[in-house]
Amino acid sequence: MAFRVLIVDDSPVMRTFIRRIIALSGMEAAELLEASNGLEALNLLQTQWVDVVLTDINMPVMDGAELMRRLAADETLKTLPVVVVSTDGTAHRVEQMLGLGARGYVKKPFQPETLREELERVLGGAYAS
Amino acid sequence: MQVSDWDDLLGTAAAEVLETMFFTAAYPLAEPAESTAGPRVAAHLDFAGTPAGALTLSVSEPAVRVLAANFLAPDEDGPVPASQLGSVVCELANMICGALLSHVNSDALFCLSSPELLPDGAAPPPGRPTRSLTLGEEMEGDAEDGAIDLWLALEPHAG
Repeated sequence: MAFRVLIVDDSPVMRTFIRRIIALSGMEAAELLEASNGLEALNLLQTQWVDVVLTDINMPVMDGAELMRRLAADETLKTLPVVVVSTDGTAHRVEQMLGLGARGYVKKPFQPETLREELERVLGGAYAS
Repeated sequence: MQVSDWDDLLGTAAAEVLETMFFTAAYPLAEPAESTAGPRVAAHLDFAGTPAGALTLSVSEPAVRVLAANFLAPDEDGPVPASQLGSVVCELANMICGALLSHVNSDALFCLSSPELLPDGAAPPPGRPTRSLTLGEEMEGDAEDGAIDLWLALEPHAG
């Protein structure tokens, strides 16, 4: 089953890497959208629906924490699953982002299967090939 | 925590990131490199927290090309564009720093700055690197072709 993922990261090479990992995971049917910061992601979500958002935290213009707050305050977007993908794996940061509503947290560096497992868990497994 | 512990963790964090995200085995050198000659791509970032500090990463250009190819898996048409090599080194520096701080104290809150690419020919930080690694089997040519050097600077109150 096809699904749509929004990758939010200010690093173009990291977005490319995540695209590659999702493709390698056997989820080739996925449609992948990209944004380089939280504000760009919010703008994109005004016109396009996605099944899950993968977001970095530390980004210019609007960081991942503010993106989470804006999503939670939006009636149409507050149920959208968000998985944080970040270099910051400290317990404090994980707790903060989960407290803001993140459904999952993947710490960089990560094994490709870790990202796949997290996507499957958040999407309910029905989307995995 | 002793400074030597930080140094050891830095080598561990770098090897972990290279293996996991760049699918590349890297071997820490027993002694940091004495020189960092040759074409290099380097990035720097600061981190705030307890302790605060800075990390500088310098990678030989041949090694960057290997790492970028492994990370991005470009089309068979050719190598990774030169314009992306700096971004790859910045992302590598970001992940090594994050991995290091996660190892150090999982209860602390650190804030990392965005990595900045250092200009071509920029002088490395003074002194020998804190840790040096080398890419082994994937590199051909001189040992320096696989060089990865890291400088870690901590603010004095680090315990």
